[in-house]
Amino acid sequence: MNLITLKNKSREEIATLLDVKERDSLVEKFATLGLPNKKTEEYHYFDVEKLLDVDYKTLNYIPKAIEEGDKIEIIDGVVTKAPKGMRVYSEPCESIDMDHFDSLYYLGHLLSPRIIRIEVDGDCHVEILHKYTQSDALINYRIVISNQANRHTTMYENFEAEDIHNTLVLYGYDMHVAQDSTLRMVKLQVMHDNKYSMVASHKVNVAKNANVLLKNFDFGGDQSLQVLKVELGEHASIEAGHLLYLNENSKRGTASQIIHRGEHSTSKQEAKNILDGQARGIFDALIRVEHSARFTKAEQSAKSILLHEKAYMASKPQLEIYIDELEASHGATTGQLDEKQLFYLQSRGISYIEARKILVIAFANTLIEQVKDTRHQDRIKSAFEAVFYASNKG
Amino acid sequence: MSKGNNKSVMKIENLQAKIGDKQILKGLNLELEAGKVHAIMGPNGAGKSTLSKAIVGHYDIEILGGDITYKDKSILEMEAEERALEGIFLSFQHPVEIPGVNNAYFLRTALNAKLKHQGKDELNAAEFLRLMKGHLEMLGMKSDMISRSLNEGFSGGEKKRNEILQMLTLEPEVIILDEIDSGLDIDALRAVSEGINKMKDGKRTFLVITHYSRILDYIEPDYIHVLKDGKVIKTAGPELVPYLEEHGYDGIEED
Ligand SMILES: Nc1ncnc2c1ncn2[C@@H]1O[C@H](COP(=O)(O)OP(=O)(O)OP(=O)(O)O)[C@@H](O)[C@H]1O
Ligand SMILES: [Mg+2]
Repeated sequence: MNLITLKNKSREEIATLLDVKERDSLVEKFATLGLPNKKTEEYHYFDVEKLLDVDYKTLNYIPKAIEEGDKIEIIDGVVTKAPKGMRVYSEPCESIDMDHFDSLYYLGHLLSPRIIRIEVDGDCHVEILHKYTQSDALINYRIVISNQANRHTTMYENFEAEDIHNTLVLYGYDMHVAQDSTLRMVKLQVMHDNKYSMVASHKVNVAKNANVLLKNFDFGGDQSLQVLKVELGEHASIEAGHLLYLNENSKRGTASQIIHRGEHSTSKQEAKNILDGQARGIFDALIRVEHSARFTKAEQSAKSILLHEKAYMASKPQLEIYIDELEASHGATTGQLDEKQLFYLQSRGISYIEARKILVIAFANTLIEQVKDTRHQDRIKSAFEAVFYASNKG
Repeated sequence: MSKGNNKSVMKIENLQAKIGDKQILKGLNLELEAGKVHAIMGPNGAGKSTLSKAIVGHYDIEILGGDITYKDKSILEMEAEERALEGIFLSFQHPVEIPGVNNAYFLRTALNAKLKHQGKDELNAAEFLRLMKGHLEMLGMKSDMISRSLNEGFSGGEKKRNEILQMLTLEPEVIILDEIDSGLDIDALRAVSEGINKMKDGKRTFLVITHYSRILDYIEPDYIHVLKDGKVIKTAGPELVPYLEEHGYDGIEED
C-alpha cells in the first residue's frame, strides 16, 4: 500500500481505500486534517511525504497466543510475550482523542481498529520491547496504556530491528495516567542503517494529581518523529526530557503540545540535542496554558550542540498563554563544544576524541542521570557511547 | 644561561608568537635547566602567560618563528595531549570550569591516559582513591572537592589547589605554574608550596610565573628571569628578587 494515495481524498474515498466501515468520525477527522506534508506545522522539518510515498507491503495482524516472559514483547505490531499476571490484550479502541492535531494519529487508529491494551497493575516496572522483522513493510499498531489510582509505575520502552530495510512504522500510544498516580516512561531508541523509519503519535492524559515523566533517548541515524499531545488536569504534572544524539543524515525529534487544562498544573520540558554529521534535530514544542489553568507553572528549555558544520537543529520552544496567574520560563540555545574546555582536558593528556566524548556526555548527563535504575542508565550510556564512537572513528 | 655542563631540559630559542593580530613574543630565549626552579617575573601584559601557553600548545597562539625543544626534540608540531603525555604540565592562571564532568573521573582519566602512555597498568578505583586521599590531605582540600564537577563553582583558591592536585597526580617533568600564588590566602599558599616542594626531587623542572616574592620564599628559585615586552631581558640568581621588589622592572638593564 502507498499511503500517498490518501492525499487530498474525500471521506468516502478514504473509507474505501482504507476499507473501513462505521468509523465516520475518525475518517472525517483524518480527511479534515489531511495527510501531512511540508506545510503541516509539526512535520515542517521532517520529510514525511517521502516516507509515505512508498509501496509498502502490508501485514496481516493475527493475534498470537501470548507467552510468558520478563517483558512485553511486540513483534511487528503483535504481542508475543508478557509478564505473568499482566493484563495485555487486544480490543477495539474506545477512547480516542477527537481533538488531536495530528492526522497520523487518526490514520494510525484507522489502520489499527484493534489496539493493544496494557493495564499496569500496582507499583511495578515493565519493559516493552518493540521488535521489527519485516523489510519494505508498513507496520502499524497502537497501544493503550492505563494504570491505577495511587500507583507508581515505571515503563521502559526499547526498540530492536532485525537485519531489515526500508520499513515504515506508524505507531503510538494513548496513555491514561490515573488520579494520584505516577507513570514514568523511559524510551531508548537507537536507529541506524535505515532499517526502519517511524512516526509515533501519542496522546497522554494526566488526571488530577497525577504525574507523568516521559524521558526520551533518541540516538543514531535514520528518520523518526515523535508527535506528542499531553493534557494536564488539575494539580497534574509532566516532566518531559528529550535527549537527541544524532549522526549521519538523520532527521529525528519531537513535535509536542502540552496543554494545561487544570489549575495548579505543572509542566517541565527539557530538550538537549547533540547533532553530528549532517543530522537534523527537531524540537518543535508548544506549551499551551488554557483559561481554565490558573496558577500553573510551565518551564521549557532547549539546548543544542552542533558537532559538525552541516548539522542543523530546528528548535522551537513556544509558550502560548491565556492567563496572567502563572509562572513560566523558556529558552533555547545552540552552540558548539567549548574549545577552552576541550583544551583544558587535552592539556592533561586526554586525547581529542576522549575529551570530546567527556564534554558531550557532560552535556547529556543531566538527562541520563534522571534515569535512576542503574541497569537502564548503563544501557543508555553504552548506547550513547556506541553512537559516539561510530561518528568519531579514531 | 651558560652554566657549563648543566643539563638543559627545555630550550626556547628566538620564539616569536602572536595572538590574533598582535605579536606578543618577540624573539624570546630561555633555557630551563633540569631539576631547577626557574621563576619568571615581569610586568602585566609582557607575555608570560603567552609563553606558558606556547609551551603547552594552546590553540590561541600562532608561532611565527623560533623553536621550543624539549629533551632535544622540537615540540612545536606536537598536539597538546602529546606534550602533556611527554611530561609537560601547565597550571593555568585561569583554570576553566567544566560543569557535568566529575573531578575524580577527570583526574583518573588523565592519570590512566598517562600510565597507558608509559606502558604501565591503569589504577583501579580503590587504588586511585587511596592516592587522592593523600594528596587531598596534604593540600588541605575537602574530599568533596573531587566528587564535584571540575572547577565548577570553585573559589579562586580552590581552583589553584585543584591545579596542584592534578600536578601531584600526573607527576610531570616540566611544571609551569602561571600565577599559582595569586588570590591565595596564607594557608593556601603554604599548602600549595608544600605540594610543589614535594615534587622537587632534583629531576623535575619548574617554571614559576609570579608577581610576588612571597611564594619564592617557600619554593626557593634557582634562577630569576625578567620577561618584558615579549623577551627575556635578564637572568639572574634569587638575589634579584628584593631588587625588583624595590625598584620594579623599569630600571632593569638587558643582559
Ligand atoms: N586571546 C587574546 N586575544 C587578544 N589578545 C590577547 C589574548 N590573550 C592575551 N592577549 C594579549 O597578549 C598580551 C600578553 O598577555 P599575557 O597574558 O601573556 O600577559 P602576562 O605577562 O601573562 O600578563 P599578566 O601578568 O597580567 O598575567 C596582552 O597584551 C594581552 O592583552
Ligand atoms: Mg598572565
